[in-house]
Amino acid sequence: MAIPRSFRLLEELEKGEKGGSQACSYGLSNGDDVSMTNWNGTILGAPNSVHANRIYSVEIICGPKYPDEPPLIKFVSKINLQCVDQKTGDVIVDKFTIMNNWKRSTTIEDCLMELRKEMITPANKTLAQPNEGSIF
Amino acid sequence: MSGLPKRIIKETKNLILDPVPGMKTDIPDEDNLRYLSVEMEGPGNSPYQGGVFNLELYLPEDYPMEPPKIRFLTPVYHPNIDKLGRICLDVLKDHWSPAFQIRTVLLSIQQLLDTPNPDDPLLSDVAELCKSNNAEYCKIAKEWTLKYAVTKKEV
Repeated sequence: MAIPRSFRLLEELEKGEKGGSQACSYGLSNGDDVSMTNWNGTILGAPNSVHANRIYSVEIICGPKYPDEPPLIKFVSKINLQCVDQKTGDVIVDKFTIMNNWKRSTTIEDCLMELRKEMITPANKTLAQPNEGSIF
Repeated sequence: MSGLPKRIIKETKNLILDPVPGMKTDIPDEDNLRYLSVEMEGPGNSPYQGGVFNLELYLPEDYPMEPPKIRFLTPVYHPNIDKLGRICLDVLKDHWSPAFQIRTVLLSIQQLLDTPNPDDPLLSDVAELCKSNNAEYCKIAKEWTLKYAVTKKEV
């Protein structure tokens, strides 16, 4: 008897509208979309890294089975991370733990914050990054 | 279904067996008895008259300490109802009391349709029109009712 998709997404939207976390933001792409499927987000680059002060845009799609299934996340801004498809910008679920081990309680904000942490993992930290502002 | 508080079972049963006039409540998913669907008739002598509006309602884990979550699924032109169907109503927020019931909430929403509260709006443009040119507001609300909330009978 878990919270249904629509009310869960309304809760997430409300949190996002109130400002959410300082390091990321998210909201509906189209405020009229009653199905609340398409979202936009931004992630502030992790500090003390090559990503510091960069702002990354992402698109998030919450399908009809969300939150039983994870959303689709795609980077619009170019970024070089092991869990991001370098051709499309799509986040590769198999390589991104929080989405691979998906729990119903995990939120869009959790995903964005985890992507931020990915930027400074040892495997990613030394990767060369595309020019700031380039897009997939 | 185990684990569902008696109060919820009693309330939903009552709503279905002894419905609020002009409203039909249903449990669309037998696996989730906290999730209800509601069909609400627009109040008479209001721009919503003749319309049947669909809403969805969820009783959160902490209900009745916390109010029910409810939104319109049918588009409504109203200063206190936004484009996602969210409703700005005091009993759903600060003025909630565990002594209220789902029934109380549904009646308050029907009342809100009848009596908009443009001084505490969710949509400032609709509120503005409601205050400055009420006839025009009523006209648009009526058009929306006809467009979205009236099922055309098959000929």
